[in-house]
Amino acid sequence: MQLKEHKLKEVLARIFNVDVNTITEDASPDTIENWDSLRHMSLVLAIEEEFGIELTDDQVVEILSFKLIKIVLKEHGIEFI
Amino acid sequence: MSDLDVGMSTAKAASLSEVLDFINAAESTAESGGFPIKVNFLRNLTIEGVEPFFKYHCLKSGLKPLVTFGNYDMVRQEVLDRTSHIYTDTPDVIVVALYLETYLSDQWLAGWNAAEVMNDLAGLFAYLARNTAAIVAINTFVPPFYTDLGITSSTELPSHDYEVQQLNRLVRDFVRSHPSRFVLMDWERFIRQLGENESMDYRFWYMSKAPFKKGFLDLYARELVKVARALKGKSKKCLIMDCDNTLWGGIVGEDGLHGIKLDRHSYPGNTFYQFQNSVLKLRERGVLIALCSKNNEQDVWEVLESHPHCLLKREHLAAWRVNWQDKASNLRALAGELNLGLDSFVFVDDNPAECGLIRDLLPEVTILQVPEKLYTYPLLLKRDGLFDTLTLSAEDRQRSRMYCEEANRKHEQAKYDTLEQYLESLALSITVHHAKPGEVPRIAQLTQKTNQFNLTTRRYSEAQIASYANDPEYAIISLSVRDKFGDSGLTGVLIARKVADCGVIDTLLLSCRVLGRNIEVAFALKSLEIIERGWQVNAWQAEYVATQKNRQVAGFWKLLGFMESSHQEVHTFYELRNNAVRHEEITYVAIEEE
Repeated sequence: MQLKEHKLKEVLARIFNVDVNTITEDASPDTIENWDSLRHMSLVLAIEEEFGIELTDDQVVEILSFKLIKIVLKEHGIEFI
Repeated sequence: MSDLDVGMSTAKAASLSEVLDFINAAESTAESGGFPIKVNFLRNLTIEGVEPFFKYHCLKSGLKPLVTFGNYDMVRQEVLDRTSHIYTDTPDVIVVALYLETYLSDQWLAGWNAAEVMNDLAGLFAYLARNTAAIVAINTFVPPFYTDLGITSSTELPSHDYEVQQLNRLVRDFVRSHPSRFVLMDWERFIRQLGENESMDYRFWYMSKAPFKKGFLDLYARELVKVARALKGKSKKCLIMDCDNTLWGGIVGEDGLHGIKLDRHSYPGNTFYQFQNSVLKLRERGVLIALCSKNNEQDVWEVLESHPHCLLKREHLAAWRVNWQDKASNLRALAGELNLGLDSFVFVDDNPAECGLIRDLLPEVTILQVPEKLYTYPLLLKRDGLFDTLTLSAEDRQRSRMYCEEANRKHEQAKYDTLEQYLESLALSITVHHAKPGEVPRIAQLTQKTNQFNLTTRRYSEAQIASYANDPEYAIISLSVRDKFGDSGLTGVLIARKVADCGVIDTLLLSCRVLGRNIEVAFALKSLEIIERGWQVNAWQAEYVATQKNRQVAGFWKLLGFMESSHQEVHTFYELRNNAVRHEEITYVAIEEE
């Protein structure tokens, strides 16, 4: 399944309550102040809901940047263009 | 989604994305009108996940939420520290969210006793009761899903389940003894409603001390918003309903009094009946009931006064507008007449166009559309607590006490020495008469569904029953049963045909829910007596047609006094001469004919 990258950026922007333009390739807890452990749970929930998947335990911990989220979603057969 | 949500009563929670988008939109557009509601959480678990859902439901109810969370597992400290947020913020509501696993840390592994925790909780709650004017919301604890002892039970080892019940009793009793100060967030009930899979998030419990899934958090948020609404005077006060396809199924002007669907014993009439029941429950709590419908007024009164299963009566109504004018004008007129704001109105209608009209013209009115899945309709008014108030009046409480006493009385009477004594105590009363037009659908349905107590198992359509009912050669007798516990409704049928000077019994059946009380004998004898008044007959013929399922009635005609006359495969024929001795009267069944 191929999806627009913008859709994923919107998910993050919504969860962290920031402008979608601040979600760059390198966006991570280091660049986004709101990306704390609580919002990380919301992020996991939102990604699972939006894309209809279930992340493994390891993946839940791994997805700590926009780039890593894309890699993990690719493992679930979801690619962004 | 899956088949699982077919028949689910709880509205499915919106997705987190929808919820967050809604909050963002609402917060950016409005200089946020709406009543502010300030809520502070004290907690020993990660419960921040409830915040978006709480905000979402607040904003939808015209409330402007301000939410603060205390520090993780600092409940006692923050309660005792008079400079903590729950005192300096002067919140409207303090939510105490306690999770047992954190509370007990690891001591519960060894088997634990609730006494110490109960002591601690009682102290905590009492301190809050003395020192804050805020409403305090406290929760019940989650009982274990699995037992430590497996399938064994032990009198020596303390049972986790039992201890949790003790704690929950303390919580419930504390709320009960502090009306309008403490409110209950019944986590135990939430989990009963949703089930373990929809409630418990073991992943985030072990990773982040956040034990609840979205479904649970949404339900928790809805319950908290009910409290907020009641506190801010946002409770609804008046329920206004359409009539056709809302109070009953069908259109009375076209289908007629007996064509509408409101039979409490069959679908979908029973869903409308139960909806009416929930309307009357609201009325008992002081909610005003009104009608706003496009009908001939006389048709509506006829249903309310004459339909045997219409619970709503004219004297229950605070006001009505039954006419052909537009409903927005009618609702405005009702608001004037009742001297209430439109924002205290809840309007129920089946028609999306009418609902849309009101939504556009009178956005203050809360609109509930009759659901397409009618089996969820009886829960429509119960689910959202729109009419909830923080306390009930003294009269309301007295009424529920009377109900309690009645229940106890029944409990006391539960011991009998003989079956006869038991049956006598039931105060059985049956109504036996020629079928009335309104009973035709139910009678046809009984012939189609009844298998066990059915002497001939002949299936009839509604049209066939209707034509027999109008044919002087046929008699259809109906049976309705009542006892001290309530009304079982129309549950038996006898159909007979006149052939020369002989009465031939075509059908005799009873619904299985009224069996075992000798009602069948009383009904059959009474039916013959009623028919004999109209027909000159000097003998009765009857038949038993054996099926896989009706063995229990093979001997019934003999029991009544009939003699076997012939036999042919599955058919056995019987005869009863007028001078024959019939079964003696069943003394403990009172018989009415009207």
